[in-house]
Amino acid sequence: MPTDTPSAASAPNPAAAFSNCTHCGFCLAACPTYQLSGDENNSPRGRLRLWSEEAAGRIPEDPWTDFYTAECIGCLACESACPANVPYGRLFEHTRQAHVEAGRFSPHPLLRLAAAAVRHPRLLNLALLPARILRWTGLPLHRLLFRGSPPVLQSTASYARALMERHRPTGPRVALLTGCLMEGLFREINAATVRVLIENNVQVFIPESQGCCGAFHEHTGLGNTASLHEANRRAFQPLDVDAVLSNSAGCGYALARSLAPDTPARDVLSFLGDLRPIQRARPSSNARLYVDLPCHLVHGQKEPGIPASVLDATGYQWELAPNARDCCGSGGVYNIQEPENARTILASKSAFLNTAQGDPVILGTSNHVCMMQWHSAATSGLVHRPYLVRHILQLLDPLSPSDT
Amino acid sequence: MPAPTSALLPRLHALVPRGRVFSSPAQLAGYASDALGYKSYTPDAVVLPADAEELAAFMQGARSLGVPVILRGAGTSLSGGPVAAQGGVVVHTSSLKAIRSISPDGFWCEVECGVPLNTLDAALKPHGLFYPPDPSSGPVCTLGGNVATNAGGAHCFRYGVTSNYVLGVEALLLDGSLHRFGGPAGGRGHWREDWKRFMIGSEGTLAAFTRFWLRLLPLPEKVWTFRATYPDLRSIEAAIHGLVAHSAYPAAIEMLDPRAVTIVENSPMAVGLPRDSFLLLTEIDGPAPLVDARVEPIAEILRSTGSNDVAFSDQDHLRQKLWKARKAAGGLLGQISPDFLVQDAVIPKRALADILQFLYDEADAASIPAVNLFHAGDGNLHPNFLFDSRKPGDLEKVELISARLMQRVLDAGGTLSGEHGIGNDKAAYMPLVFGPDSLRLQWAVPAAFNPAHQLNPLKVLTARRFTP
Repeated sequence: MPTDTPSAASAPNPAAAFSNCTHCGFCLAACPTYQLSGDENNSPRGRLRLWSEEAAGRIPEDPWTDFYTAECIGCLACESACPANVPYGRLFEHTRQAHVEAGRFSPHPLLRLAAAAVRHPRLLNLALLPARILRWTGLPLHRLLFRGSPPVLQSTASYARALMERHRPTGPRVALLTGCLMEGLFREINAATVRVLIENNVQVFIPESQGCCGAFHEHTGLGNTASLHEANRRAFQPLDVDAVLSNSAGCGYALARSLAPDTPARDVLSFLGDLRPIQRARPSSNARLYVDLPCHLVHGQKEPGIPASVLDATGYQWELAPNARDCCGSGGVYNIQEPENARTILASKSAFLNTAQGDPVILGTSNHVCMMQWHSAATSGLVHRPYLVRHILQLLDPLSPSDT
Repeated sequence: MPAPTSALLPRLHALVPRGRVFSSPAQLAGYASDALGYKSYTPDAVVLPADAEELAAFMQGARSLGVPVILRGAGTSLSGGPVAAQGGVVVHTSSLKAIRSISPDGFWCEVECGVPLNTLDAALKPHGLFYPPDPSSGPVCTLGGNVATNAGGAHCFRYGVTSNYVLGVEALLLDGSLHRFGGPAGGRGHWREDWKRFMIGSEGTLAAFTRFWLRLLPLPEKVWTFRATYPDLRSIEAAIHGLVAHSAYPAAIEMLDPRAVTIVENSPMAVGLPRDSFLLLTEIDGPAPLVDARVEPIAEILRSTGSNDVAFSDQDHLRQKLWKARKAAGGLLGQISPDFLVQDAVIPKRALADILQFLYDEADAASIPAVNLFHAGDGNLHPNFLFDSRKPGDLEKVELISARLMQRVLDAGGTLSGEHGIGNDKAAYMPLVFGPDSLRLQWAVPAAFNPAHQLNPLKVLTARRFTP
């Protein structure tokens, strides 16, 4: 295992930060696992208490502490609810990493494999080539994978260079984080992002030397993100851009933390919101767009939501999905690590789709892992009528056909 | 002697076969405190009954367990209420969260004890109804806890506290009997309707609640919110009296002292208020023509008593901005201090300026920051003492100030608690208020319902100890 960061176990004990928690309990209402279990220990206030009691030596290391820590989705809704600004997400990441190092938490083998793979983006892209091809066919590779039409061979960076050459936009200069899974599997969303930005006169630069944002390792507790962060600082900082954009809320949250304070990182939809993007026309469309807000956008990046100007520009009649600020159960990797909980959470989130108005019904969001989770509502039998899952950028795409 | 935990657990499992029984240290830790976070009492076990039927089965068998039984809602109490001060079993009612029925025509609803307050209000809104008590823990706190503490809130100045809205209570006693006090029809039936008053504010010392019938009101058609700042205590006191006496009869009258205003203004939640000002918030609601006509008279009271900074609105997003400093202040205390103790003594409004000055003098002399944000219309103080329980001597200082403040409050004709309850935090002050004759009766009531004081011992009265 690389040792480019101090291990969590040897890092300074963060117990001092626990004391910010005044035990008011406001996080209980926001916490999906408390709502699911009704168990105080399975809430942010409860977990903070367990970690601080253990750190202070008042309770022993206990499998139940491991259990309750593993149950946490890391959705960060508690941070939005916390009046005392307890940095729960940081404390959770620290604890999860310590638990992985101490063998108290074991990330799913698939996630271990992925965490290793995303450290080698070129290899990953090559390895996922068959998966990109199979996504065209819609063959069921995995319950979380959905059909799409990713460019199979051309990288987004090369595509962006060609489009820049052809259209020569003159507006703001941005760099784009293309991501690991996003580029390896869901590349059509990256391509749509480039098209939408360039159509809106934004200059797009995609450094090929960029790598994983580290979100994956932070979610899984597999640690060692310092070298990833450093690689991205080296890739993005010399570019002299107005912002580094991400089209995945989870990656954007990790990216912003790794580039701060020198380089501003922003969610691409928030950035577009300031530009008032070009409107798509959907005359006579009966489609209805239901917008779900990724946790790492609203609770992590603390964005108020997806700008209304962007949602209006899709041309669809839209509304927020019920409980749009609540977690869908994806939690980055939670639907692989804790599939039963994730499915129960999704069941209540997605129930409205069965009776939602619209033809077609489109579920729009801005994070590919949330898209996978929403897609699984169909494959796992929670939603019985057809619906489409789309990234909002795909709905702004000048090349996307109507009603998709 | 209480039964050892090893003997307790199989019996608990037998009582709640479908629910959950916790006994590991890491399962008990989460239940050691309420929102008075610095005081911890680890229970011997925690049970989560699966539903109302299982809670009933548990209560029928609980007496023979031979340990204290403590009912708990969301654990947002600020008085050390739902904690195992004498050990025992904490019963968490989080599974009892059904809103059983809403009667839009009868203006009542039937809810289980674990329903969170704001969940009820969200369910009532489509019917054009609301349930007025509004403690600031509304997103989390449960109706069971609200009834147990007779909870209040900002708008209780006009609407009144929980006891005004409880039509009936279903209660389970430790002798296995099930009782109903009142009901949706308001009391006609084979039950002692008025005995519901014994239950409301009983802080878990008499019975476990399973469900309630609650009175509802139509949502006000229109609301105006006013915010004004004042240079000194005397002028804001005059404004409060002016508002209380006016026929417009505001729904809420809230106040922040300059120390609270400064904390808000030094935070990212700053709203641009003068740091040395006293802040007053008030609200009127009702039919549009009626409240619109009262806007100018209210603004005039605020101006004529010395504010040259009066803002008001009937637009929801602007009203939220006016409330922002008040809503933000409570949480900000947690950001600047590791611990805080909040009291909720009630005083005659005429004594406001004197008591506040006394409290500042006492706290300053002990170098303990004291911040006030409170329900001024009710005279319901909320002095927050900021301290660090890990620092030797800090807690003792805060407890000493609290005790001296309580005596001063009582001398002014006030009382211990407006809405948080007595719990174990204020139990020691009870003899300051009540003489031996009153205490004898207050002892007799739990003794009638719960003779061994097995339910929530060491709360309300310090000598209420469970003796098996």
